[in-house]
Formats: sequence, C-alpha cells, structure tokens
Amino acid sequence: MSKKPPKGEYIETETGNKVSRRGQLVGTTNIILGGKSVIQAEVVIRGDLTREKQQGQGNQVAIAIGRYCIFSRACELRPPGKLYRGTFSHYPLKIADHVFVGPSSIIEAALIGNHVNIGANCVIGKFAIIKDYVRVLDGTVVPPNMVIPSFSIVAGRPAQVVGEIAEGEVDGFDLREAYRAVRN
Amino acid sequence: MASFAPYAYIQCPCTESNLPTRRLGSESPTDPLETEQEEPTFDPRAPRANYSLYPLEHLLYCEDCHQIRCPRCVIDELVACYCPNCLFEVPISTVKSEGNRCTRSCFQCPICIGPLSVSSIEAQRDGLGAEFAAYGGPYVLSCGFCNWSSDEIGIQLDKPNSIYNQLAKIRHGGKSLTNARERRKEREERSKLGYSPTIEEEGGSEDGQEKTDLNATEDFDAESQFGNLKAFYQAQLSESSPVSSLGLPGDYSYGSPGALSRIMGLYTGSSFADKKSRTKKGIMREARDAPEGLHIFSPSSDEEAVNRLRTEGWGNTVSTTQRKEQSEQNTHFLSDLRPIPYLLRTRRSKRCKTCRHILSKPESKVHSTRFRIRLVALNYIPSITIRPLQTSSSSLLRPMKPTQFLLTFKNPLFDSVKVNIATAAKTPGRFSSKVTVLCPQFEVGANTDAWEEALREGGNKGGEREKRRTKAEASEGQHQAEAGKVWERGRNWVSVVVEVIPASLRVQAPAFLKSEELQKDESPLREDEDVLEIPVFVRVEWEADPTHDDTGGLAAAGAKDKEVKEKRELAYWCVLGIGRIARD
Repeated sequence: MSKKPPKGEYIETETGNKVSRRGQLVGTTNIILGGKSVIQAEVVIRGDLTREKQQGQGNQVAIAIGRYCIFSRACELRPPGKLYRGTFSHYPLKIADHVFVGPSSIIEAALIGNHVNIGANCVIGKFAIIKDYVRVLDGTVVPPNMVIPSFSIVAGRPAQVVGEIAEGEVDGFDLREAYRAVRN
Repeated sequence: MASFAPYAYIQCPCTESNLPTRRLGSESPTDPLETEQEEPTFDPRAPRANYSLYPLEHLLYCEDCHQIRCPRCVIDELVACYCPNCLFEVPISTVKSEGNRCTRSCFQCPICIGPLSVSSIEAQRDGLGAEFAAYGGPYVLSCGFCNWSSDEIGIQLDKPNSIYNQLAKIRHGGKSLTNARERRKEREERSKLGYSPTIEEEGGSEDGQEKTDLNATEDFDAESQFGNLKAFYQAQLSESSPVSSLGLPGDYSYGSPGALSRIMGLYTGSSFADKKSRTKKGIMREARDAPEGLHIFSPSSDEEAVNRLRTEGWGNTVSTTQRKEQSEQNTHFLSDLRPIPYLLRTRRSKRCKTCRHILSKPESKVHSTRFRIRLVALNYIPSITIRPLQTSSSSLLRPMKPTQFLLTFKNPLFDSVKVNIATAAKTPGRFSSKVTVLCPQFEVGANTDAWEEALREGGNKGGEREKRRTKAEASEGQHQAEAGKVWERGRNWVSVVVEVIPASLRVQAPAFLKSEELQKDESPLREDEDVLEIPVFVRVEWEADPTHDDTGGLAAAGAKDKEVKEKRELAYWCVLGIGRIARD
C-alpha cells in the first residue's frame, strides 16, 4: 500500500482493458482479453495451465475472455484439467461478454456464457457450463460438470437452480456502465 | 444485516381490483360507500402486501390495458420443454407420453443432487466426463461433488449412453427389473388366455393366484404400479361408464352419456338417471392383484426396516429432502436411493390475463436468449433509486434524527412525464416514522436521444455531474434542500429530497412518544420491524402519441391527421425500503 504506483491502479491496454498492477497474470501469452474488461487487484489468472503439448503447437489459448468482463478483487480463473487417456491435461476456459465475477470466487468452468453474474466467494467446479443470463448468488458451489441453463438463478452447495431471471432483469446484466465507472 | 441495500418495490394494481367485478347482483349497499371513501394508505407490513410487491424488473406492462402486470396477473404459456442438463428440447407430445424427466442420460445424485457423470470402472477415480466411453467395460454413474457412485447401490451399466433406458431395467444390486410396459403386455396376454376380471370368477380362482401375485408385488416399482393401477381402472371405467353416472372419478367429460344423463336429470328434476346408475353400480370393482396394481402391505417389511435400522444405524437413513426427490415412495435407507433423472424445464411466454395480449415471448429455439416480444414495465414507468443525501459513517438510521434521502426518478419514455408522489405523514406500523416529501410534484424530461446520452457520457457531462454532486456535499451546511424544489435534474431524470425522522424502537417509551398501535401492543421488537419502509403513492401522467400504438394502420393514420396527443395516467403504490433503524 505504501508503494502505491504513481500512475494509478490500472494499466489500460490498447483495446481498453483495465488490468490492475497488482493482478497476478501467469502465462500471459495464453490469455486472450477481448477488450474493455477490468481485472482488479489480486486476481489470479492461470494462463500457464495449457493443454498438453501436441506436436509442436506452441501457443495455445488457455483462457479466452470476451468484452466488458469484470473480475473483482482476489478472484481466480484457472482452466479445468482432467486425466484423459492416461495423460493429465488442461482444457481452455472460455468466458463470453458481460461477465461479472465477484470477489474471492474461483472459476474452473469450461464455458461461461454472455451476461453472467457470479457473486462473491463462489466456486465454479471443473468443466461446468454456464449459459447466458445466469446469476450465481454469493457463496454458491457449482459442482463439476454441471450445466446451468439460461435465465437461471443458482444458489447453494451444491448449486441448485432456485429461480428464474425475469424479463425485465435482462437489461441489468449489461456491464458497460460498470466498466465506465472504473477509473484509475 | 450489516449491509442494507435500499429498495423500491411496486405494488401491482391487480391486487386492488378484486372489487365487485364478478359479483352478480349481491352487492351490499355498504360496499360502494366504502370504496368511495378515501383509500387507506397501503401498509407494506400487512400480511397480504408481501404477495403484491415486486421490484420493477419483475413487472411487465400491457400496452393495450395500459397497466402494470405482475407475475400474478399474467398467464404462462408453454413454448418448449428442455432438459436443463443436456439442453435438448423435448417435444410436448413426448412429455405427455414419457413424463416430465429427461429420458436421455442426465441424472442427479440422489445424495446431494449434483450432476452425475458416466465413467468407466477402470478409470473411476478420475471420474470426469463421458470421454471414458473409449475405455469400455462396465460403467457407473458418479457424482463429482460428493463422490457417490452408483456402484454403491450395485448398479453398473453396460453402455455409456441411453442410461435412462438401462436404469429402468436394473434394480438395486444389478437384478433385472421388468418394466411397466412389459408387465402390461404380460397382463394383456393373460387376460386373452381367458382370465376375465369379474367378480363371479373371483371366488374360484383366488387362492392359487394370490400367492404368485404376492411375489410379483416385490418387483414393482412405483411407476409400473401406478401404470398398472391406471390401466386397470381405466378398463373398469370404460366397462361401466356408458350407463353409470354421478361423477365417476377420472371421467369428467360432458360428452360421456353418464354425465349427460346426470345433467338431464338435474334440469328435468326427475330421477331417471339415478335409477339407471343404481342398477349398474355394482359392476365396478377394486384392483385385487399385482398386475392390476394392488400392492399388499406385508407386516414383515416393517420388521425388516426396524432390523436394518438396528444394524445400519441412523446415519444410513435418508433425509427428507433426499426422499422427496425420489419417485419411489418407500425409500428409508441410503442404499435404496436411485439416481434422479433431471426434471425438464420450460420456456414460457406470457399473456395479459385481461386482454390476452402477449407480453413476453421468447424465441422458440432453446439456445436463443432473445425475445420476440418483451414488454417490461422498466420501459414504461419511471424507475426509482434511493440514496442517502449525507454520507454517514454507520449504515443504520439514528432514531429521532432527521435524515434526508434522494429519490431519483428516471423516465424511460420518449415523452416527458409529470410525476406526483404522496406519502402519509407517518409510516404505518407500531413504530411510525415521520416522512416529508419536499417536492411532491415535478416533471421528468423525455428519454429523447440515446446518442445524446452517449456523447455526454463520453464527454464532460459525467465529470460535470460529479462536480456538482461533490459541491453539494461539500457545502452541505449551506445547500439546504428547499421545499417545493427539485434537488437535481438531468435530461430524463429528477432527484427529489425526502426527509425522514426515524422512530425510536424503544417499546418502553414515554406514552406521548408512542403510536396508537404500540400502546395496544407492547410485545418486543419483531423480525424486520426495524426496517424503515415508506409507502409512496406514485402517479404518473404523460401525453403519449397515439401513433406509437400499432393498433391497426387505419386508426393510426386517422390519429396522425388529427395530431391529437392522448393523455395517459398511471398510478400505483410503491414501497421504499430506506434502511434499518438503530436500536437505542
């Protein structure tokens, strides 16, 4: 805290990503940011966990993130991994647009769709698939391999669909305003 | 408890309209008097209020009735059924025949309701994904959350796909199970062989028959038992219904001669229907063996359960929630549980209950998240946001200290809107706080141009607003909220100040400080009674362009010629949850 960088909290990239100086991005060559996303302090993104090297394919995408995503403080994104045909390998983690991840949540999903809101202290299990317009309430543990259909509200340990997103709530998932609100 | 997010809930007017719309003639003379009188202020704590308050996002708006529509005054219509796990659409005809569960390979863990995945036994310890199909060998269903596996109940599968069909044939411990349909077939064959279900024959054949049937009951699961029962009684009904009457269960159709004769009997007042029915009634009989769906309770099963409880202990019994998920009725032990096939989910369109117009209609494809029609109240009535005017250190409201709040009304319409807000001077309830709206009448500008907003947002507008706000906060002492004046105004939003004097939550207060209700009822503070909720009556008036309504080309064209603006008005109760009052 005492060595606060004079330039401000965030580094802004050409495509408008705001990446905190205190974020921990590992294996940055394997991370794709779609632009206008916010990565806050202490966020861990494990780009180094790529698929097992196959015949000289050098650069592989470990984590692909769309536009207008916000990753709150101390959340962690790691590609899911499993043993397949005798070898342990990680698989890419894809995150679409307008995805909000709350503080201290751990994401190991295979796919997160558009307009998804994940609360604080959640765990999204390995290879989970979250479709569009889903709200994951605080403290939810989504078990591995779970599929959450669109317009669901999910809570509990293990996660359970507890409600539906009403028609009017759909607009509330847009994160453009929230992105603009993030300033250095 | 610590954090309290202010909220604004809107009461759907449909709850008020249970006035004499359908009452025929019997209107009592006192009724109109009561309704004519001034409406009582809406009490957000009334037990009924809970059912009529919705956040703005949950409300729809009917363009034809010009009224708010809540989930209680819309009709849902099925658009599609789909499995929430494999996301495959299931045709409604299949749902009718096969039931409302996924019949592919989607199962939930009976212990923790997590999703089950198929894995080969050899690679069981990794247990992720269906890719283990390549391994071959017997498969099990395993849960990635609680590590339950179908091996525990002795179920192993030969194929990694179409598990529903495989499971239907396997009992616990791997024994095969004849399913309902095969049973029925068998039964039909038997009846063809000259077994006719009539009472006369019963006397002769009962003994030998019953023994074999008792054994047969063991094999039945709930589903096939129900199937058998249903088939049996339908057969019984079809045999006896042409002449019988008086509401045989399951036969309500007016087309049936029995019902018809009953109705005729009602109108003619004669008893010709009764006579007929009395003579023929004896033909219906009950199920009497297992293929007909009879399940005989054996006292030994109870003893068995007690013994199992002794040996296996309490820890191996099922919980109520686990039991509720099972389709089988008598599951008492964990080892009786079966994987739960996923319940299908629906996608629905919504219609207005009064005029039957569609309010929301999703696209028919399961994977699409777009709407063809979506008339949400958010686009028609002003949204209200609440914010404290002074930033105070504690999140609780100090009793007896005047606190000011900013209500911001944002207009979504393309016409400017006149807003009237009214509150009672005191909030209802035992602890009534004093409320004053400093500016109850104001006009909110039109939501004219999205471009304008974007330009302003990008440019200096945002900063300017920020500046203004900070200035106001800094000069709090001087910049007093004035009565009758709007606090702040934007293109399509207006902020007004509401002053609140929170009540003291002390039950043992001096008598002059107490409200009437509190004097009557001096019980200690109840749950959530410390939340300060203000009922506000909001009345919105605007002049709409009738051409916006697409009520048919001709009418619209005529209206355009006249250039008449239609006056619209909407009034509703709204409850503002402001904060919790501190206890002193």
